[in-house]
Amino acid sequence: MKPGLNLISLIHCCSSALFAEGPAVYAIHDARVVRVSGPPIEHCTVVVRNGLIEAVGENVVPPADAWIIRGSGLTVYPGLIDALSTIGISGPRPPPATPALSPPPPAAGPEDRPSNTSFLRAADQIVAADPSVEAARDGGFTTAVTFPTANIFAGQGVVFDLAGMRIGQMVIDPSAGQYITLRNNGSSFPGSLMGVIAYIRQIYLDADRYKVAKAIYDKHPKGLERPAYDRTLEGVIESPRVLLPAHRAVEIDRMLQLARELKIRPILYGGEEAWRSVDSLKRSGVPVLVTLKWPEKAKDGDPAVDEPLRVLEMREKAPSTPGVLAKNGILFAFYSDGIATSKEVLKAAKKAVDAGLSTSDAVRALTLSPAEIYGVSDRLGSIDNGKIANLVVTDGDLFADKTKVKYVFVDGNKFEPAPESPDAKKDLEKTQ
Amino acid sequence: MIRFCRLILLVAFAGCLWAGSDDTFFLRGATVHPISGPEIPNGSILVRDGKIIGVGVSLTPPKDVRIVEGKGLQVYPGLIDSATEIGLSEIGAVRETSDVSELGRLNPQLRASIAVNPSSEHIPVTRANGITAVISLPDGEGLSGQASLMHLDGWTTDEMEVSRTAAMHLRMPVIQTIRSRFGEGPPRIPYAEARKTYQKQMQELNEFFESARRYQKARSAAAPEFKPDLKFEAMIPVLEGKVPLLITAVRERAIRDALEFADKQKIKMILARGDEAWKVAGELKTRNVPVILGETLSLPLDEDDPYDKPFTTPAELYKAGVKFAFGTYNVSASRNLPYQAAAAVAFGLPHDEALRAITVNAAQIWGVADKMGSIEEGKWADLMITDGDPLQTQTQVMQVFIKGKTVDMDNKHHRLYEKYLARP
Repeated sequence: MKPGLNLISLIHCCSSALFAEGPAVYAIHDARVVRVSGPPIEHCTVVVRNGLIEAVGENVVPPADAWIIRGSGLTVYPGLIDALSTIGISGPRPPPATPALSPPPPAAGPEDRPSNTSFLRAADQIVAADPSVEAARDGGFTTAVTFPTANIFAGQGVVFDLAGMRIGQMVIDPSAGQYITLRNNGSSFPGSLMGVIAYIRQIYLDADRYKVAKAIYDKHPKGLERPAYDRTLEGVIESPRVLLPAHRAVEIDRMLQLARELKIRPILYGGEEAWRSVDSLKRSGVPVLVTLKWPEKAKDGDPAVDEPLRVLEMREKAPSTPGVLAKNGILFAFYSDGIATSKEVLKAAKKAVDAGLSTSDAVRALTLSPAEIYGVSDRLGSIDNGKIANLVVTDGDLFADKTKVKYVFVDGNKFEPAPESPDAKKDLEKTQ
Repeated sequence: MIRFCRLILLVAFAGCLWAGSDDTFFLRGATVHPISGPEIPNGSILVRDGKIIGVGVSLTPPKDVRIVEGKGLQVYPGLIDSATEIGLSEIGAVRETSDVSELGRLNPQLRASIAVNPSSEHIPVTRANGITAVISLPDGEGLSGQASLMHLDGWTTDEMEVSRTAAMHLRMPVIQTIRSRFGEGPPRIPYAEARKTYQKQMQELNEFFESARRYQKARSAAAPEFKPDLKFEAMIPVLEGKVPLLITAVRERAIRDALEFADKQKIKMILARGDEAWKVAGELKTRNVPVILGETLSLPLDEDDPYDKPFTTPAELYKAGVKFAFGTYNVSASRNLPYQAAAAVAFGLPHDEALRAITVNAAQIWGVADKMGSIEEGKWADLMITDGDPLQTQTQVMQVFIKGKTVDMDNKHHRLYEKYLARP
């Protein structure tokens, strides 16, 4: 064995030791295991050792040193992944923009790099002790992909596990992709949709040139003019993929066209009207993150005002989007989009099941699909040997109303969700 | 081009023939459309001192009277635009030239006529298309002031004025949950909040009417502590039913509110705009509330409405027996009044009804049917001479008379036309 590997396993032992709740070896015996990568197995055993899944199968014998969990009547799923969230940054909702002390001078063009924090990394911003981490975990989420969301180029997302004392232990991929919004910049450039899109195009052009210029200079700095350092381009270059907002069909087409032009690897987020854009999505092979915050009627609207058919159709058909995408083989994942509790998130996913999505596809959209979209499916998203031991154990079907989460495993550490107190429910109602 | 040359020749010819300020003449040989009755081919009109004293076929001209030949031409009564900002606004974007609205919610004492600019460039442009009288409408929030009926000819507002207080304009308070594009704050207002604002405004309005009633009593009792107040003075003719309340309401709910308000306050009401009046046509008919419709050539209110909703609304009101006239609610577009009526004809409104809506109906609604709106004995000679149907855009208006006076047909549009025609 190489010394490096020894070191890694050593570190792992140390980190596991921080959770002194029990042994680092567990065996869930005689449970129904929804592997996602294959058909579910009844009366199956899952062995977890040192944060990884050691063995899965009907005929697996629990090792002697394992803490055995009687699994009869329980179902084991891979840990759920929230494919786009602000978990860990500041509660489930994106933080309100704080006004700068002295507002910067208005931008005149792309050269001023307005509304651009592409260099921000959510990995550097998340807080391990943020209450949203534990709340999501108690609901069965073991992994979140969190992004900064405040600017046109908002910054890079992070794939991270929802348990740990230090951020460093939690992060799986600190470079999940660049989050882009089409928010116009108010009274400063870009102040219109076409301005924002032109700005995004210019940034990618500049980034390409920047990369080339830097490579040439790094080879032979002597006698060459020094290319100016630009952190906004660095952030763009470092991002392996780009998240583009696309809710309505027209926006989906617009973003697919933009992505083709920029030659970037896009992921669309929103997708409420993606059922209408099946052909173009299929052709492009672009994955979609589907919001679970289905459009709803405004509670404080004027009862005498008839809503237009367009709005009613959007509301009616949005939950059917996942079913349509699954049928057409388009890769998609769910994201919580600011929904307050994991319970509500699963309830919203159930709506998609009611509108035609199969339960297994719904589970996939919360596990393996997001892992594939973010390129971490070799580690996350299914119950297979060697994958990270992120599991959620329930007493029934994940989407059934009465089902309770019994255990959550994150990196092989076992958590039991705090029992739901009636007060918590009342508090939630108050805040809504 | 040939058509235009012909027009210019005709205009030039007409200019010589009809020149002079004399308001006494005998027009003969034209097809007369009195509106009040069937058309009279080869008809004659005798005008003396600005008034029509004879209409018919076999009239003989008095000896002392100038004769105007109208062979091959059509004569119609001058058109009435029942809602404009003419004289109150010159260039909408230039604040200094716009006097349409006052600040505050209760301004019944404002009179449009006093503020009308008789030298407005819009007046010659508008009357050149046959419009001889317009309602100048103050527009603000709540009670916005008195609308005046003005002739489009005169050196002073006194000369132009037909009716100083044709109506009192009230913009009905509405529950507004969508903020206007230029308003401050979030684009949507919660319903509960919007409703509260509305209720406050309604309460204020009702209280104002009650105060006006108390004022009216105190005034007639000549109480020693009575103090004259222009606002309440202006309300007295409204409360007495002598001046109608012109209530702007667009949506069904606002129109129903307006009807209820008029019932409660026992006042005479005219509905302005009434885009959704077709939903309330029965109630409008039972109460005999006339409507001043806005632009026919416009987009539907809601995205799911039929594309032709504004085009068919006049025909629907006609079928329901509701009396209506057209207003352009505009300055520079007032000249297009006949085409607003014409668009409704293509969508089911009988042709004659469209003409009535911009002539005699308007005169009746504004209480001046004894003076204008049709070609009848005793009325003012507000006339237009054309080469065809005024509802057709190709039709040329050859000459306009206001109170029998031959008005100057020259205008800014015509001057610009000639200027650029002469460009090398």
